[in-house]
Amino acid sequence: MFSCTIPKLRIIFPTARSLSSLASPSQIEPRQLAFPPKYQQPRQVWLENFDTIEEKKLAILELHPEVFAANPRVDIIHDNVRWQSLYRYVSYAHTKSRFEVRGGGRKPWPQKGLGRARHGSIRSPLFRGGGVIHGPKSPNPHFYMLPFYTRIHGLTATLSIKLAQDDLHVITDLEIPTDDPNFVEELVKSRKWGPSVLFVDESDIMPRNITAATDSVKHFNLMPAYGLNVYSMLKHDTLVLTRAALDLIESKLLTHLHKNNSVPNTQKYKLNQV
Amino acid sequence: MGSNTAEKALQMLKFLPRVCLANLKPSPGSRTSKKRGRGQHGGDKHGAGNKGSGQRQNYMRLGYETGNNPFYLRFPHEPYYQGHHLRREYPPLSMLDLLKLIEMNRLDASKPIDLVSILNTGLYKIFPDQRQYGVNLTDEGADVFNAKVNIEVQWATEPVIAAIERAGGVITTAYYDQHSLQAMINAKKFFERGVPIPRRMMPPPDAIEYYADPTKRGYLADPEKISEERLVLAQKYGYELPQIEKDPEYEMLTERKDPRQIFYGLHPGWVVNLKDKVILKPQDEELERYYAS
Amino acid sequence: MLLNKLTVAFNIGKVCLPEALQVRFRYHADKVARGPLLRRYGYEEKILQRGTLPRLKGADRLCKPLYTPKDAWTEKRALFGQNDYIDILGNERLHPTRILYNIPPWLRGVGGNEFQVMLRKRNMLAKTVYPLARPTKWNQLQKRINYLYRFLNKKTKTV
Repeated sequence: MFSCTIPKLRIIFPTARSLSSLASPSQIEPRQLAFPPKYQQPRQVWLENFDTIEEKKLAILELHPEVFAANPRVDIIHDNVRWQSLYRYVSYAHTKSRFEVRGGGRKPWPQKGLGRARHGSIRSPLFRGGGVIHGPKSPNPHFYMLPFYTRIHGLTATLSIKLAQDDLHVITDLEIPTDDPNFVEELVKSRKWGPSVLFVDESDIMPRNITAATDSVKHFNLMPAYGLNVYSMLKHDTLVLTRAALDLIESKLLTHLHKNNSVPNTQKYKLNQV
Repeated sequence: MGSNTAEKALQMLKFLPRVCLANLKPSPGSRTSKKRGRGQHGGDKHGAGNKGSGQRQNYMRLGYETGNNPFYLRFPHEPYYQGHHLRREYPPLSMLDLLKLIEMNRLDASKPIDLVSILNTGLYKIFPDQRQYGVNLTDEGADVFNAKVNIEVQWATEPVIAAIERAGGVITTAYYDQHSLQAMINAKKFFERGVPIPRRMMPPPDAIEYYADPTKRGYLADPEKISEERLVLAQKYGYELPQIEKDPEYEMLTERKDPRQIFYGLHPGWVVNLKDKVILKPQDEELERYYAS
Repeated sequence: MLLNKLTVAFNIGKVCLPEALQVRFRYHADKVARGPLLRRYGYEEKILQRGTLPRLKGADRLCKPLYTPKDAWTEKRALFGQNDYIDILGNERLHPTRILYNIPPWLRGVGGNEFQVMLRKRNMLAKTVYPLARPTKWNQLQKRINYLYRFLNKKTKTV
């Protein structure tokens, strides 16, 4: 087990030597952190290219520690994943109780005189084909709402874990020269990503080539930044963010963590709200 | 729990297998499943308890005393709270809280403060449908209050008025009816509805006296008498009344709403379009006559 | 080998005396060569004990359905959970319950026990064609609600 995890140690400890070997550092703008952290060092991540199979490290980007070095609370992540699978789940299992089963209005045989057990209906639960007691009734929603900031912390904890385990990569954009699936497969293999990879871009309109290339590969998936969620991040081994998506996600999360009027968000969920 | 814990945990995670859907766990002890008792007497009572309503499936209605004349019917009349459902309620906001809001930049003292700006902080709430009619500014913290403000509240007592005026500020008490308050509690949401701003109604007969009283700084009182009363109050409480006329912020301090107006700068009958950033004003003469104060 | 075991034992921290370390040579190959252990000698089993039905002597086993593992990467499963955080990462005014297109509109964001869900169903469907189009279902819904109302209010503790 350790032998396969130890190579992951080769992460994000940029030295002067590795900085000097950058491709073209002058072209890449450094990142400005909104709400600069007071007590924590910013995290760092390589900005990689995506247009060639060989990896080129273009620059080092700073990441906000409140989002990318948050406390990796696995229990909060578990709560998030549980909520994601339950809040949309409705059980449609259904059994009929004795009044719902058709027929059974007539007394099957006289009360006395036949030597048989007394019965009033052939749809009684004692009968074959009769109603069911305490059976499942459809629809049975399992809906509940996870508190707003638990969901925020689920996202930050998952992003932090992904970064710490070297499963988070930042690329310039999703432009690739060809729509051949082999190109992406080779790229993922050579960079030791995956096997399953989630590519996240800023908007939901993706470049044509990457869409065509990942269409036939089931475990390479594209997702807009607003669709990002804890479950998908954990289902896919590697998370690949474009720089624009990174900016968007970080700014959205930081805004929610720092805004002064969070009262509407922290209120109890009400049906038909918003 | 400081960030140091997070740092250690993240360092540790580098050496641990990948966190994925298969190895998540809830917090230990956070989820307990209901278990029936075990052994010989585990299910004796089937969870229904010992004797009584639980076992006989007979939960009586609230207040029922199994045939006695119930307590709630024993006494024929309780007049103590007569008319409570009609009385106006003014949820309190202390001067200390107000000062805190100003010092924490949740309120801008360089502009007139009214119910809308207080509600927009999100730290004060009213429910007009529960007959809550606005701010009752209480005198807690009156001794330390030193902000120069032009404030409009719905209820204020003499020490509060004195404290505001001693600091060089101006206070007005103003009445808003329920429809106006509904528009004020979330102004943005109201503008998004796309309906014209209603005109403020006059206070009901039992409130007219308060809001026309210069000693209460009512918005319907004569301004001449109010300035007279300011001087009287200063002499009563023994402070020198700062002269507003010579104040550099004279414009701001003398800004008042029209008795029919709800929002500063917006008149009744206007429609605010937030999307196009346009204000639509009524042109029809009949409408203009209706919305004129 | 013995030395190894000794060192391991010492490493664990137990004290091992040399007399306790008896080494016996038992080889699996010997056991296999002896053949299966004979039990219930002379008894002939009339029922086939293993495999799927029929358990008749000489008959072929029924074929089991071939095991087809679930494809964990179908589009639905691969993108499960997308947009669940849309109010955080996207439009703040769009609640995730509003985009649960897999369930009927009146059931989106609805939780609670059977009674509460049924009341919601009745309220939402009363003004549609449902009562006329499904009279039996509607009648059964009303009956069930009446029953649950009586049960929950009179037979259970509601405080």
